[in-house]
Amino acid sequence: MRNSPESPAVSALDWRVLAQAARDAVNACDFNRVRFWLQLFFFALMVYGGFAGIDLGLSLPTFACGYNQTGRPGVCYLLPLQHQLALPPRVLFGFAGIGVLTGFVVFFLWFIALNKGWCGFVCPLGAIQDWITALRRRLGVRFSRYSQKSFETLSWIKYVLLALMIVIPLGIGAGYFSHDMSAPFCMICPGRLIIPAFTFDFRQFVIDFSTPTKIVMTVLGAMTTGLFFVGSFIKKRFWCFFCPMSAFHYLLSKPAAFRLIKDGDKCTRCGDCYSVCDLQIKEIADDVNEPQIMMEDCIMCLKCVAACPETGALKAKFAGLTIFESTEAGFMKRMQKGAAP
Amino acid sequence: MTFFSGIDIGSTAIKIVVVDEDGRLADQYVTATRSHFYKNAREAFETLLGKMGLRRDQVGYVIATGYGRKLYKEADDSISEITANGIGAHEVGKAHGGVRTIINIGGQDSKAIQIDSQGAVTHFVMNDKCAAGTGRFLDVAARNLEIGLDELGDYHFQAAGGPLDINSTCTVFAESEIIGLLANGHGKGEIIAGIHHSIARRTVRLAKKVGIEDRVFFDGGPALNKGLVAAIQAELGREIVVPEHPQTTTAFGAAILARSEFLADFAERLGAGRDFHVQAGLSEQGAREACSPQCDAGGCAVRHGA
Amino acid sequence: MKDEIELAKRATPITASAPSATVVSRSEELSPYSRSKQAREAERVLNRIIDDFDDNPQAMQYFYDLFRRVHCRGESIAAEGPRIGTTCIQAPEELIYAMGATPVRLCNGSYHYDQIGAEFMPAKSCSLVKATLGMLTSDNPVPRVGKLDLVVNPTTCDQKKKASAMIEEMGHPVFNLELPNVKESEASRLYWRRSVRQFAEELRGVTGRKLTRKNLKAALARTQRAERAFRAMDGFRRASPSVLLGKDAFLVVNAYFFDDLDRWCEAVETLNGELGERLEKAVRAVQKKAPRIVFTGSPPIFPNLKLPLLIERAGGVVVSDETCSANRMLYDMTAVDEWLVNDMVDSLADKYLKPCTCPIFTKNEDRQRRLLELVRNFSADGVVYQAFAGCQVYEMEQRSVARTLNEQGIPMLYVETDYSPDDEGQLSTRVEAFLESIKTRKRMRT
Repeated sequence: MRNSPESPAVSALDWRVLAQAARDAVNACDFNRVRFWLQLFFFALMVYGGFAGIDLGLSLPTFACGYNQTGRPGVCYLLPLQHQLALPPRVLFGFAGIGVLTGFVVFFLWFIALNKGWCGFVCPLGAIQDWITALRRRLGVRFSRYSQKSFETLSWIKYVLLALMIVIPLGIGAGYFSHDMSAPFCMICPGRLIIPAFTFDFRQFVIDFSTPTKIVMTVLGAMTTGLFFVGSFIKKRFWCFFCPMSAFHYLLSKPAAFRLIKDGDKCTRCGDCYSVCDLQIKEIADDVNEPQIMMEDCIMCLKCVAACPETGALKAKFAGLTIFESTEAGFMKRMQKGAAP
Repeated sequence: MTFFSGIDIGSTAIKIVVVDEDGRLADQYVTATRSHFYKNAREAFETLLGKMGLRRDQVGYVIATGYGRKLYKEADDSISEITANGIGAHEVGKAHGGVRTIINIGGQDSKAIQIDSQGAVTHFVMNDKCAAGTGRFLDVAARNLEIGLDELGDYHFQAAGGPLDINSTCTVFAESEIIGLLANGHGKGEIIAGIHHSIARRTVRLAKKVGIEDRVFFDGGPALNKGLVAAIQAELGREIVVPEHPQTTTAFGAAILARSEFLADFAERLGAGRDFHVQAGLSEQGAREACSPQCDAGGCAVRHGA
Repeated sequence: MKDEIELAKRATPITASAPSATVVSRSEELSPYSRSKQAREAERVLNRIIDDFDDNPQAMQYFYDLFRRVHCRGESIAAEGPRIGTTCIQAPEELIYAMGATPVRLCNGSYHYDQIGAEFMPAKSCSLVKATLGMLTSDNPVPRVGKLDLVVNPTTCDQKKKASAMIEEMGHPVFNLELPNVKESEASRLYWRRSVRQFAEELRGVTGRKLTRKNLKAALARTQRAERAFRAMDGFRRASPSVLLGKDAFLVVNAYFFDDLDRWCEAVETLNGELGERLEKAVRAVQKKAPRIVFTGSPPIFPNLKLPLLIERAGGVVVSDETCSANRMLYDMTAVDEWLVNDMVDSLADKYLKPCTCPIFTKNEDRQRRLLELVRNFSADGVVYQAFAGCQVYEMEQRSVARTLNEQGIPMLYVETDYSPDDEGQLSTRVEAFLESIKTRKRMRT
């Protein structure tokens, strides 16, 4: 920018100027559009990848739903995990144990590459929620907020679901629960009904009347799916707030490579980041001490970085390298489209 | 031989100090400011030069300070009296082991200045809104008690009883209070001691705003008053350093600064020259002192006699 | 060749919609107002702003002329729609613009009106409040405020709060915009959002227009342009040495109080163009060793630019500020997630409350952090903290701010002053001593 006092002194090496120009271009990108296309791409991959013969294994840290038997490019780890945990204990902790551990390690490695970015960019359920939100916006309907008290109470649910997802299969394996309760989380997960539907497979919509337990589980599944649609319409990323995958991710997120970093000194606490945050996370705006600002509900959608007007206050880093950071110029381009040059 | 001068044009008195090329006090002169301070300042300067037998061109650099500094056009530069006082106190204080807090009571104002180990001012507070606790207060008191200003110190130590409490915050109203005390038969000594303690309390309260660090230096015209010095020492609870010429410390600081400015200009014009000190008419010691404190580390562009 | 055309384009005077850039003559006394005390005061300060400094940017002529016309001659600026007086920048102006009205900032910087206000205000009152009230009681105040259809008074400090009733007695309809005293809590955020909505309702009553997505978005676009222009101008002061003096920057932002918004934006954009050229040609406003100062505290409002002028005449340069009459007014930018009316209003409300560093709040951590960041960002050597005598909140915050700055080794000068012109000698002693001590420290460090 010719008249900008921030343009760096021309260095002898052209590559440094080029690198800065590249960084500036990335930081000033039309973020919403970039994210839309990325989400569309990953949705196609996660829902239809199987048709192209893609097989990424059984440990995917996102809702590449296993029930989508034709289209899946691999399987959402939670399905094999629940089945593994439901093995009889002497098998689980015996020779199958290595397989279980391997599965977990692969899951962990997949996860730490993108951290919660799996939620914000890759997850097909996430993309669906964002599209429902876009529809709502187009209809001119306002979204609803949680009060702070509700927020704090409800945020425990995901941990409870995570705990149940582990305890019930273990209980099945130990003989306390019937096999009708197998893959209990999958039974109530909206993904089981919705994702196969995208390949015109509506078998999961049927209530299973074979046993009372099955009835309960499939009815619950239908209810949560209904709730998913209603909730996603009136709130942004409704499901993510309760998602046990999100809870699981957060517990493992410490060594992740992809990070959201905040420089509290540069923060004016203007709250712009909070205004755009789908998950209503207060800390992104209010906490100026902690640099690792990714909170438990964060889906690393990076909307906050795109909405921050203070250069360098928020950064998305991969293995220490800044990929996308908040800049004054980027903010102006994205948020002030109507203003004259 | 080049000399340097500092002229402090205060509200009550004009103080002029001349130092020699090594920064030692050569002579000084004090006179009343009165109304036409510009004319009086010029005349005072000429008087001092005449007394010293110097020509004007023998004075290499003149710095003016005090409230009248801007209008004294004969000066080469002007600085605030706070900076000048800091420099002066730092110089004089060297002989007493270094000073950090300066208390100055002037004709119409009072200040507290904190300097660091190199004499740079770090904090300061001023009371220039109100003449209470300044030299003016002492003037009024001396007039009411019908004694000379220079007698105030003696009377302080002659006080039979303890110092009386002077309650008025305002100098003008304190006048009535003093008259009332006299009428009630109180002795001049107690009254004067009371006045000194009143000023001391006010001044120390001001000084606490910058923080009091050893050693404390007390200057300004009223520091000639030994009674006031005693009162301030009592209020502070520690010994204070009073220079031999407290009234001219600020002008002395301005003169010292005049010398460094002149030498700095000179050094710039000379560039990296040998025997700089000879050309500048300085002893080697003087030349070294003229440069920055780091020059002994060998980083100085101006080589002096090395 | 192309560059020369670009340069030439940028150097041409402002477009037809703006007044011409010719110098307005000083000696003419066109109207009775120019003879009044207030006008003389304004004229004197304006002349000092122009004459005491060399090589003012050409684009500043627009602003010099503007102030001469409005503050010295008593000309009024044409305003669209109803006139909504505001006593604080916390009143969201975007809502006012959206409903086709014009904000009229009432905060006054004139000693003349301060004296008038002193006739009925307590002795130890804040000069700004006295001057504002004094101006409102005058028959023909300058700058002209015209007939106010509403006065919005955010409930900020004690004196402004109590002024509400006084303004009502003067015959103006007053709307108390309820601003919380705590800004950290969720309750305060919701309270403020509700207050802003109520304000929108009140404006609807006054203007007869409804707030729609379209008109709010258009209003936001206009103020966003101002924010961008301001930030660009501010950026030029980051350069070392600065390309723009503080006295000019203050004047530019003070002009925002009363100038036509779009014309103001154009004028600043022109100024930015010229500053860009100056930066390239290495034409600087001050010497390299001029101490760089961040100015904070009670807001300097023309003609009370006493302290910043003093600092710059003594050889310093005010590179940035943390005051509501300048930086704070235009710095923060609104981010909106969903461009629907309710979301826009809420985002707007948050933008006004959350980053606000006014001392009327219980805690002032944001202000301390902001000052530190400004000092860092603008490579400042020191901070000058002005508090109007009688302004309890600024006076009380001085200690915590001084402590924070001292911990970081940043020198600070605290000055208590008011609108009266008779303390210049005392102020200049302090300011000069402060600048001298900064220069000494810099010299000793190198």
